[in-house]
Amino acid sequence: MKAKKVLGDDADIVLADARYEQISKIIEASLVKGERKRTVTDVLDKVFLNKYVGIPAFFALLWAVFQFTFEASAPFMGLIEMLFAWLSSLAAQIPNEVVASLLADGIFGGLGFILSFTAPIFFLFFALSLLEDSGYLARVAFVFDKLMFKLGLHGRSFIPMLLGFGCNLPAIMAARSIEGKKDRLITILTVPFMSCAARLPVYVLIAGAFFASHAATAVWSMYVIGIVVAILFALLLRKTILKGEPAPFIIELPTYKMPTLWGSVLHMWERGVSFLKKAGTYLLVGAIILWVLSVLPWGVEAGSGDSLIGLIGQTLQPLFGPLGFNWQIVSSLVFAFLAKELVVESLGVIYGVGGEASIQAALVASITPVSAFALMVFTLLYVPCLATVGVIKKETGSWKWTLFAVLSEMAIAYLGALLIVGLGGLLGFS
Amino acid sequence: MRLSELKPGQEATVTKIENTTTARRRIMDMGLVKGSKVKVICRAPLGDPLEIEIRDYKLSLRKKDAQNILVTEAE
Repeated sequence: MKAKKVLGDDADIVLADARYEQISKIIEASLVKGERKRTVTDVLDKVFLNKYVGIPAFFALLWAVFQFTFEASAPFMGLIEMLFAWLSSLAAQIPNEVVASLLADGIFGGLGFILSFTAPIFFLFFALSLLEDSGYLARVAFVFDKLMFKLGLHGRSFIPMLLGFGCNLPAIMAARSIEGKKDRLITILTVPFMSCAARLPVYVLIAGAFFASHAATAVWSMYVIGIVVAILFALLLRKTILKGEPAPFIIELPTYKMPTLWGSVLHMWERGVSFLKKAGTYLLVGAIILWVLSVLPWGVEAGSGDSLIGLIGQTLQPLFGPLGFNWQIVSSLVFAFLAKELVVESLGVIYGVGGEASIQAALVASITPVSAFALMVFTLLYVPCLATVGVIKKETGSWKWTLFAVLSEMAIAYLGALLIVGLGGLLGFS
Repeated sequence: MRLSELKPGQEATVTKIENTTTARRRIMDMGLVKGSKVKVICRAPLGDPLEIEIRDYKLSLRKKDAQNILVTEAE
């Protein structure tokens, strides 16, 4: 305070002013500036930051990234699945029945299915590293900052939210680049509402069974509902427990550089391995627990009504009565904690039928179309998967926020599904 | 005149920074102080934030932060 009176301004301002004044003097005395040429950065920015071309250019690049990710990873996915199928068939030959089942069905079966997704995740990391090293990602934050600011977020939240449509896991890891603590937390808490690729097979199965010619619209509406819920939740968090304004957008826009292959590979490797370590541990534990639940008490048919998972489903079912879910569906939702696409597989196990068409027939026979839509919404909104919960814990470094994420997502999913059933009733569907 | 009122291509010299706390600190850390020469490069496609050139590098900041930076336009 005293300093302010003497110096005429806050001490830090006076210091900064004086420091830069010195710097300017030194530069003036020592640096001879050459002719300023139009740089590559000027030219590229004319395109990528252009009022009309900037946004379409971004979506074109994004399309290329996803295309590359899926095309390049497909053969690797096949390889990983083959490897685990082979391991699983080897393990099935172990004489001890319990060990054989644990290894074959529990560990290699479940894990192999999920680990095949590491291939696209590695390639996605690679493509992102290329964009990041080139200097383009900072421009994406710049282009979309206004939009994100309106939603109570920061420009840097845009990339994580977008990645969420591929897989929530790398999306939550990408939130690291967000500086403001609250901005980062809100991003981490809302990313799970972005409908990831693992949820798609569930929508396709249910929509195909119940909504025939409107199936595509039903699937598309899931993506829209996810975005709307994410926006509402972000605004709610900003108004309540994470009050305040998004951090200022004062960032350097680096000059564009040619990314190096080696640099990007290194980047991909670091992130990919850290993903594997995190996801792997949780998935292994989860796969074992679910296997235990589905085969105990020993001797029952795996996943049937007499198994623990069946009992859990039957115990929780009354809670889901208002939504019109039977215990088989509740059990499959428990299974899907491991990974969302398991809803499809586990319904097959629980109904004791094979093939998509028979699962669909079993569903049509047991729930109403309104409940089916509610089930899609529930699948969209509830806890994305065990691995994501693990990453939320790692990234927030707090059990409190992890628990909050899980509970709030469960509550929102339940309310969302209830709303669908209620609306369906009002509109006269049953 | 305020930095937010400059048009793309215009150059100016910073005369005063009126921002409060967090933003001001950050602005000064990035080398935007009294006497610095700035040039507005462009606005983002949605109209905000803006990109400026200062000390031979590119910096971006939101309109609402640029509003609190007073400048005098260069001839």
